[in-house]
Amino acid sequence: MPISYFHAAILGLLQGVSELFPVSSLGHTVIIPKLLGWNIHQNAPYFLTFLVALHLATALVLLAFFWRDWVRIVKGIGRSLRDREIAPDDADAKLGWLLVVGTIPAGILGLTLQDKLRSLFASPQYASIFLALNALVLFGAELLRRRAPVTADDDDERIARTVGWRDTTLVGAAQALALIPGFSRSGASMGGGLLVGLSHKDAARFAFLLATPIIIAAAVLKLPDLAGSQGNGVRGPALVGALCSAVTAFLAVRFLMRYFETNTLLPFAIYCAAAGTAAAIYFAVS
Amino acid sequence: MNRRTLAALAVVLGIALIAIAIVYWVEPAKSLPSFFPGHQAGSTHHHTKHGIASFLVGLAAFAFAWFNTGPKKTRAASS
Repeated sequence: MPISYFHAAILGLLQGVSELFPVSSLGHTVIIPKLLGWNIHQNAPYFLTFLVALHLATALVLLAFFWRDWVRIVKGIGRSLRDREIAPDDADAKLGWLLVVGTIPAGILGLTLQDKLRSLFASPQYASIFLALNALVLFGAELLRRRAPVTADDDDERIARTVGWRDTTLVGAAQALALIPGFSRSGASMGGGLLVGLSHKDAARFAFLLATPIIIAAAVLKLPDLAGSQGNGVRGPALVGALCSAVTAFLAVRFLMRYFETNTLLPFAIYCAAAGTAAAIYFAVS
Repeated sequence: MNRRTLAALAVVLGIALIAIAIVYWVEPAKSLPSFFPGHQAGSTHHHTKHGIASFLVGLAAFAFAWFNTGPKKTRAASS
């Protein structure tokens, strides 16, 4: 069996947390097995197929967690298409189209660059260096962030009033950084949200909403591989890993939405700097 | 550039991108025009993902045209 059930469970638990915490799930999935001496071929098609199942589980948890928001957003998009305009007071419609526009650059860059970037940089050495650099992204976002000026009771209304079309394009494109193992998707998009003037809580909310369609789409595109020959020997562990990932993803998103009401990205930046540097030194000397 | 011209350009772009998407889905990499990203002599691989990306951007262009040709109700009411 290419991946044992124990390894699958550990990787699943790790994926659920690290996908949503701004610390790079892909980077951790590349670094941790190597640190623990697990004999897993991380560039092998079966491992990428296994990861797809974990990503799909995480994305489905995000979808369920923000389900009411998604219903409002989809209805808002429908209203705007019917009326052929995005009414200034329709925050759901504006937020929906912000997510659509933000997903386009992330989708294009992901579809066209994913395989090339992963094959180039999917080594533990690179991932640990990029994890340390991820700390700079988080530090930079905190340093350069604009204060949140818009006050509104509704979370989605605040986001819709603060984020512009150019902003969402840049935040969406920033997600592509996560194609490189070690850089965090949520970190890049939360950082982008802070730069355009969102509060930490709203930046996290926008990042999670923005990540959901792209992660689901990427997973669904790769899902046939799990059913095909690349999934041989991996389906059982993938199911266990996905369940573990779903549990920790739910706990992570619930924790983070409370955490960012009063806290910043700095602890995650410090963790990335320390863990990335330590792992890079370990791989260099071992 | 006025809204109608922008909408017309978006429609042309949308049609072109969806046509490109179909080419990606139907033709193997060796048969793609040489200026297309993904063209590779001798390869029978189909660039499905390139096609999906092109199709989605085409749809976005149509959505842009749809909004730009709609009645300006809100702006008319507020002015």
